[in-house]
Amino acid sequence: MSQTLHDHDHAHDHPAIEQAARPGYYEMLETAVRELLVEKKLIAADEIRRQIEVLDSRTPALGARIVARAWVDPDFRARLLADGRAACEECGISFYDDTSLIVVENTDKIHNLIVCTLCSCYPRPVLGLPPDWYKLKPYRARAVSDPRAVLAEFGTIIPDNIEVRVHDSTAMVRYLVLPKRPEGTENYAEEQLAALVTRDTMIGVAPAQIQGSAS
Amino acid sequence: MTDTENLVTRLPNDIGGLPADRIEIVDHELEAWEKRCHALADVLDFQKIINTEEKRCGVEALGAEMVGKLSYYERWIVAFANILFRKQILTPTELALKMAEVEARCP
Repeated sequence: MSQTLHDHDHAHDHPAIEQAARPGYYEMLETAVRELLVEKKLIAADEIRRQIEVLDSRTPALGARIVARAWVDPDFRARLLADGRAACEECGISFYDDTSLIVVENTDKIHNLIVCTLCSCYPRPVLGLPPDWYKLKPYRARAVSDPRAVLAEFGTIIPDNIEVRVHDSTAMVRYLVLPKRPEGTENYAEEQLAALVTRDTMIGVAPAQIQGSAS
Repeated sequence: MTDTENLVTRLPNDIGGLPADRIEIVDHELEAWEKRCHALADVLDFQKIINTEEKRCGVEALGAEMVGKLSYYERWIVAFANILFRKQILTPTELALKMAEVEARCP
């Protein structure tokens, strides 16, 4: 994107803006496609800007809030497991991508893992955008056929007496793992619990843990 | 199964269950154009111009070599251009002229 230098009518308390590198071929392609669609009035420039704001507002902190609430409120947990999207919407999280959400619960007997073998489908309204490893071949190829080995590569060893269930996402149906509440958190407030819930625990590649504890 | 049968039954995106390398736990902060590309994908979906499944198919239609060599958002934007040509929303000439214009205004 072209960058215009601002007028220098203010004191310089911000760092110098580096000379923007010349955009590469694909960046110019993105700009060209977007501008043509705007010129044809098929999309509005403002829509792109607003959607970037939406993307920026979605982080794993939203999912963590949902998980913590499910840990402290059995009725909410039941609603979340019955209809993930409706329960998230009840908490004010909108589903801008029109997908449904199935929440799968880790228990003493079952460990859940989510993947998208075909590409990169992911519960973006509640977790934001997926990490690169989620989109790359090793995870997509092996999560469905060798999940225990994949989990071990994330440092997560699942004992043989616990069943591992792998959920393959689609364009319309996304999954979120409800991790097990760590032991020793009986007296934690909801916010303290939410702080224990990371992105990886909701993908299913790691357990929720009390910070600093090694399991 | 012969090599060619495998080409027929496995399209480029269909990699679930194939042998693959160890997981490398990698990530990167999206570049500004990558984030714009993602927002563009969402807006194209909202406006019912290109939906998620059409995008996935469009990436697959790039063929195994491009799928293997282009980065994630590079695949997306090339797929969008191809889908927009196919839907007769853009023409290759229009896009080539706009690309030249974009390039000319970059320092």
